[in-house]
Amino acid sequence: MPPFFKYKKQKVHTDQSKDTQDSANHHVPEPIESSLSANLDSIKQKTGHSSDIIVRTIITGNTSLHKASVVYVAGLVDTQAINEFLIEPLQTNHDLLEKLYQQDGLDKVTKEFITLGSVHPVTNWDELFLSLMSGDTIILIDGSNKAWSASSKGGERRSIQEPSTQVSVRGSKESFTESIGTNIAMVRRIINNPDLWIETMKIGKVTRTDVSIMYINGIAKTEVVDEVRKRLKRINIDSILESGYIEQLIEDQTITPFPTIFTTERPDITAGNLLEGRVAIFVNGSPDALLAPALFIGFFQAVEDYYSRYDIATATRFIRVLAFFISLIGPAAYIAITTFHQEMIPTQLLIIVAAQRDSVPFPAFVEAIIMEIAFEILREAGIRMPKVIGSTISIVGALVIGQGAIQAGIVSPATVIVVAITAIANFATPSYTVAISARLIRFLFMIIAAVFGFYGIILGFIMLLVHLVSLRSFGVPYMTPLAPFIPKNLGDTIIRTPLWAEKIRPRLISSTDNPVRAGEDQKPAPPQKRGMKKKNTR
Amino acid sequence: MEKAKISAYQLFVLIVLFEVGSTLLIPLALDAKQDAWLTILLGMVGGFFLFLVNFRLFHYYPDILPTEYMQKIVGKSFGKFLAFLYILYFMYMAAKVVRDFGEMLITSTYPQTPLFIIIALFLVVIIYTIRKGIEVVARTGELLFLILLLLGISGTILIAISGIVDLKNLLPVLEEGIMPVLKTTFTQTLYIPFGEAVVFSMILPYLNQSKKGKRIGVYALGFSGLALTLVVAINISVLGVNLTARSQFPLLSTIQTIQIDEFLERLDVYFMLTLILGGFFKISLYFYVAVAGIANLFNFKEPSRLVYPMGIVILILSITIASNYAEHISEGTRFISLRIFLPFQVIIPVSLLIIAFFKHRKKRGK
Repeated sequence: MPPFFKYKKQKVHTDQSKDTQDSANHHVPEPIESSLSANLDSIKQKTGHSSDIIVRTIITGNTSLHKASVVYVAGLVDTQAINEFLIEPLQTNHDLLEKLYQQDGLDKVTKEFITLGSVHPVTNWDELFLSLMSGDTIILIDGSNKAWSASSKGGERRSIQEPSTQVSVRGSKESFTESIGTNIAMVRRIINNPDLWIETMKIGKVTRTDVSIMYINGIAKTEVVDEVRKRLKRINIDSILESGYIEQLIEDQTITPFPTIFTTERPDITAGNLLEGRVAIFVNGSPDALLAPALFIGFFQAVEDYYSRYDIATATRFIRVLAFFISLIGPAAYIAITTFHQEMIPTQLLIIVAAQRDSVPFPAFVEAIIMEIAFEILREAGIRMPKVIGSTISIVGALVIGQGAIQAGIVSPATVIVVAITAIANFATPSYTVAISARLIRFLFMIIAAVFGFYGIILGFIMLLVHLVSLRSFGVPYMTPLAPFIPKNLGDTIIRTPLWAEKIRPRLISSTDNPVRAGEDQKPAPPQKRGMKKKNTR
Repeated sequence: MEKAKISAYQLFVLIVLFEVGSTLLIPLALDAKQDAWLTILLGMVGGFFLFLVNFRLFHYYPDILPTEYMQKIVGKSFGKFLAFLYILYFMYMAAKVVRDFGEMLITSTYPQTPLFIIIALFLVVIIYTIRKGIEVVARTGELLFLILLLLGISGTILIAISGIVDLKNLLPVLEEGIMPVLKTTFTQTLYIPFGEAVVFSMILPYLNQSKKGKRIGVYALGFSGLALTLVVAINISVLGVNLTARSQFPLLSTIQTIQIDEFLERLDVYFMLTLILGGFFKISLYFYVAVAGIANLFNFKEPSRLVYPMGIVILILSITIASNYAEHISEGTRFISLRIFLPFQVIIPVSLLIIAFFKHRKKRGK
């Protein structure tokens, strides 16, 4: 008997055949010529005589004069380093270029004279432009059909700053920048281990953006790493401008409001996730690293949970999950109660609410929808508004939407309270991406509550659960460890057990060969002789 | 057969949710008066036996669905006919439970909403779930099982501290001798809910550790039997036999009597949540096995496409099954237990097992 979802498999097959076609008509790169002037001409021609391409030609030599050129892109390189460590040695050592023409001369020169970081040979134009455009310096020598690319990346960049979206009271105060090298180094500084492996590739036909995947060999599952690599290699698009591009191109399921890849701007979160066996993806130009596979519960784990003690952490995490529920079904429950289930609230409260709603011309649903939409507009405006007029919007928001709407009798005070609590609860979710999905689904819940009351809400809730449970992130079920239920990994879900009690890594995410994260007997205890208890051993 | 696997724990959860599901809410075994809890325990023992019969059959044919092994046991054409009857039975049961459920909702909370709308909305959610396959059903079960467990424990605590339990209502035990208890067992509790576990013969082949299946099934039936016993005992001790027997939904009446400090009262939403979650699994499983059975019997390549048309069939069937609630109830309690449950849950599996047993012995003899 055939499998349930055969048509899905067929889709995969068509993708594969496309891939093979693409690789078949891959073009062969042109080699570099040996004439310097011809080479310089073609560089100028291919870059359209762009003014930021700097060419410096040097003529040196004792016995005979030789010509060499240094080519770089202004702004992308560390000019001082090029002057000191590349041009100066070339000009002062007159026999340098002569050596170049000897056998193995090139090797010798790079070893002895060029004091810049890494230097490697380049033989064709594709490679040449790739390294030139990413900030390397190209050295071309007259008469040689080999060019040299010296790494000299530099230029102006934003410095490391405090995280702006994933703020924490305790813990490191640095966040990723737009430079991929800096970001990788920041993680390396936390995990000083040779098993932290990094692979870099260029993605984007036009932008040729550096994309790196990072994982800890031995902790990450090889299947997941392979899958990430495979999905990245599949990408065939002209530009990658932000890690969001990559996220949308490699996620498991596209028709869902929930994020199946975790994004973070903090190196310590990245390190923590790498240590659980996840794979991090860095994209040059983006201060957000991607982490996969992501679990639903992961979006409720704030970094501080791990830095503060477990009882506090459990309590705050519980609050967060509660806040998520409120932000999801708060207004819906209000609509259902006031429209269908008035008997569920205490009589006193019912009288108050009914008295307020007496003068309001709209049903509870319309009222709540108006307020919710008004709030969403306020929020959207607040994000994109210039900072100088920020106070205007708070005045408009508080006075017009709050006070004004109630006094005008358009909405009842109870509705405003519900909408306000919902809005605040929405901000309690540590991850912005999952908070947005709650915002979206909230409206569906409101509609179904207006039509069917609690029956609708419960059915909507079941449907939401079914959807969540059917999601996968890089093959790992999204609701792990709740469904499938893995009792050993429950320690880091709605509750957080003490660090000394969490002995193993998450089962479906990290490699099964190496599951132990903490040794035996890690529970701290007071010294025996000072303790109040009698020793058991005697 | 769908290429999916479920774990032993998932099977446990599914059986418990299926057994407890809607049975929790209806008046169960009250012909035996205050001994209702005893009939449930006896029915549970019978349920063990029926489950082991089905498990033994699965043991003989571990990789194929019952719709397929029936053809191997009694011959191709008669086996196909039998399998088709089973599929009709599953569809009928799905429709019946949907109807039960819709009627319950209308009586308890939504007196003015049309039955059709209530049932249609519910089936939309179920169709969505079934289309995702058995794995998703099982995983949803794991999550909702936790929620139901939480509801059950907190509900029991609330009932206990509100001081409405009067254990004297459960006395005297065996007032009229053992006969009424046995009679109720063999006409009611053996079939609803325990005999209904015949559905799981269609789910067992998906189990990833088939050796554990036997133990898990018995545990799950035992767990649900004890839970049902507890609920029935609580209902009777809170409401008394007469009120329980007259009440349409004893559990709802019990919950409505909870009153703590004039603040915690009217906890009807408890009842509704239990009702919907339980009904959801019962209907989903019946629906799922019907789809899987048809796909298997008629060699459908994409069973998920069957879900929409069969959903519509079940919707219409559930509306036309009876013209009103009274008719539906009397059909459900008097008519079908001996005419439908007895053959499908007891006679056919047992005779299949006997034939399969002799066939296998003959094979081994050769």
